[in-house]
Parts: sequence; C-alpha cells; structure tokens
Amino acid sequence: MSTADANGIKQAIRSFILSSIAVPDLDDDANLFESGIVNSLFAVQLMTFIEKTFAMEMGRDDLDIENFKSLNATTAFVLRKNGRPSG
Amino acid sequence: MVEKREEFNAFVTRNVAPFAEQWDRDQQVPAGVISQMAQAGYLGCSLPPEYGGQGWDIVTFGLLNEAFGRASSALTGVLTVQAMVSMALLKWGTTEQKRRWLPPLAKGEMLGAFALTEPGAGSAMQSLVTEFTGNSQGLVLNGSKKWISCAQFAAVFLVFGTLGGRSVACVVPKDTPGLRIEPISDLLGFRAAGLAQLHFQDVEVPSANLVGKPGYALSHVAPVGLHYGRISTACSALGLLRGCFEESIAHAAMRKIGDKTVGDMGMVRSLIARMGTDLEAASALCHTACRAEDEHRPEAFEKTLMAKYFTSRAVVRAASDAVQIQGAAGCHGSSAVSRYYRDAKIMEIIEGTTQIHEDILGRIFVDQAGGCGTSTRAD
Repeated sequence: MSTADANGIKQAIRSFILSSIAVPDLDDDANLFESGIVNSLFAVQLMTFIEKTFAMEMGRDDLDIENFKSLNATTAFVLRKNGRPSG
Repeated sequence: MVEKREEFNAFVTRNVAPFAEQWDRDQQVPAGVISQMAQAGYLGCSLPPEYGGQGWDIVTFGLLNEAFGRASSALTGVLTVQAMVSMALLKWGTTEQKRRWLPPLAKGEMLGAFALTEPGAGSAMQSLVTEFTGNSQGLVLNGSKKWISCAQFAAVFLVFGTLGGRSVACVVPKDTPGLRIEPISDLLGFRAAGLAQLHFQDVEVPSANLVGKPGYALSHVAPVGLHYGRISTACSALGLLRGCFEESIAHAAMRKIGDKTVGDMGMVRSLIARMGTDLEAASALCHTACRAEDEHRPEAFEKTLMAKYFTSRAVVRAASDAVQIQGAAGCHGSSAVSRYYRDAKIMEIIEGTTQIHEDILGRIFVDQAGGCGTSTRAD
C-alpha cells in the first residue's frame, strides 16, 4: 500500500464524513463519537460506506470504537483490514 | 421481477386475502399459513443460500412485503420481524451463531422476534432498563419487553438490554426457564400479529448468545434490524395504500347515488386524486430505498427512513379517505377499509414513530447542508 493509496483512502473517508455531519472542518484526530457531532445513523452509514468503497466486509470482530473514532483511526483500520477476511 | 410479483400476488390471493378478515376478528393467524409461507421460501428470502435462504435482492423482498401488505398487515408483520432478526444475526453473529440459528430461520422452521421496546422505553432506545448480569455460568437476564410483534409464536427472541452499563443484544430461546410470554390483545390494528409482553426473571443464557460486542447493540446491531424492519414496513404500508386506492376507485365507479356514481362527485375525485398520487410517490420512494440497499449505498438508511415516513403517513390519509368515500358502509366490519383504517395507524408507530423519523431525517438533512463538503453558506 503506497502513501498515495493511503492518502486517497483518507481523502475518500474525509469527504464522506464531511458530507454527513455539520462541521466546518475536520481535524484528522478529532473524536467523532465523543463530540456528539454525529447523528444516530452515522455509525452504520460509515460502516456501509467503508464496505462499499473499499470492497470489504465488516463483522463482529471489527466492532471496536478505536477503529472508527477519528479520520486517522478509520484510515488506519481500512489499511489494516484491506485484503484480510472478516471474522 | 414481473414473474415474482405475479407469484406473490397469486399466493396472497389464494392463501391470505380470503381469510384476513377472520384472522383479524380471531386476533391470530393460523400456523398453517405460516407453514405455507415457509414452504414458499418467504421467511428466509433475503438470507443467502448457504444458510438455506433464497438470496433474493431487497427489491424482490419489497415486492413480497407489498403483496402481503395489500391483504394483511398483521401477517406481513411475520415477514418484517423474521427479516429483522435474521439480518441482524447475519451481519453481526459469530460463525457459530449463524450456523446454529440462520438455517432454521431461513427455512421458517423457527420464527424470531425483535425484543427491543420496553414498557418505559419505546423509541427512546437509550432508556433500556432490561439488564444482563454476568455469573460463572454465563449471563442472567431480568426485565421486561412490551409490544413485541410475533412474540406469541416466536421460538427465539433477539433481546436488547445492558450489561455493565453497555448495550447488548442476545438470542434467548422461548423455552428458557424464567421467561414468561404474556399475549397482548385488543389492539387498534395489527390484531393478528401475535404481540406479547415478555417477562424475564433470572433467565440464564450463555454468553455465547451475545450478538455483536457489548457496547455496540444500539449503535450497530439494532440499526441493522430496524433498517430491514423499516423497508418491510414501508412496503407493507405501500400494499395497504394500494388496497385503499383500489377499494376506493372500485366503490367510486360502481356505487350509484341516484343516476350518478360516487365517482361523479368532484369532492370524491379529489380524495382519489390525492390517494393515487400518494400511491405513485410512495411506490417510487420504496423502490428507491430497496435499490439503494441492493447497491449497498450508505444513503440506503435515509432513503428507507424517507420511504417509511412518507408511506406510513400517506396510508393513514388514504385509509381515512377510503372510509369517507364508502360512508357508513366503510365504518362496518364487513368492509375491508375499516380494517385498513385501523391497521394504517399502526404503520406510523412501528419501527420508529413518525416523530422519531422526523427527528432523525431533519438532523440528517441539516447536517448534510451544514457539512463542509456540501455547504452553500456564504460565510
């Protein structure tokens, strides 16, 4: 996975988040869930976006807030998960 | 797709429509018709073939629910709840849970029920007081659930509660000691949907029955089940809306008042115009939602909310107008529209009230407009 790929993943996730929640800007490490800025469907919408965009399936073992708490965390999760089957 | 629609309509015409009024009066559906649905593959239609399901897409699932909803909202509730439990398990169950529970659910050998609502927590999911505690053997469940559709004939319940302050979902078989099922009767509508209250007193369940991880039941497990429940309910309400429309146009065309028909009256045509237009709009919204889900798009959730929100409100208007068009005859139990009128109101309550939909959708729309990605503000 090249740096360019990683940047592309981060940009795609950033665009999705910014199209879904009302924030003027998004810090890479801002906690999305503790800040209360996301609506009640955001978690499953983000999951669906990741599954569709990066052609992967999430399962029980992926349920960890550390994987999705911020833009950087979500990007790192996608990079780790890429190519690994879901449990 | 046309073939499937014809198959569903033929099944409903033969096995559901002639009996729906009697089931409503009896406040129960016979086991025989559920067996027929199972044999036809309808109870596991959205599950993959590897678990014994039909693997149908959601557009087809929507058509199935619409066809059933045209004749019996109560019986369609079985399709709704079965999908809610099955799809939540498919998404978040362990390999062992899926191997154990999905095949009998897919074949209809087992019915499930989605035990989320509590006497003190309806749409306010965060207020759950049903509690799991841990012991050396596994988990102990105490609490109560209310207004649970199909609970009178379900073999397993997907029960939501808390464990150590974190939300959890857990499969609980109906024959587990300490679980008491109290039927609820005399509902306004959906009278044959087998609603019940569940009482859990020191019910012991294995930890292996937890679905998803603790802390994610309300953010991830319940939304998946509710999503399919809303698709099913929206399409069921669409079928009921079609029923209101068809009964109304038939009455308007045939019923004579003097030398004119009811349909010759301008005010009746106004009601029918609104009903028919709502029907087209609802159909488009439901189809769009089903397509979005088939394409696994994130916006499928909000499209489904819109479809359920619009269609459930439209069917309440349509059922009221259908009764109005028939006059006194529409107020009697011998007229189908009197049942439609009672069932229609339930559509605005189940799988999230109209007000909850407005709250969620309103926030989604505002967030989308306010987000940096799509903002049009001049600041």
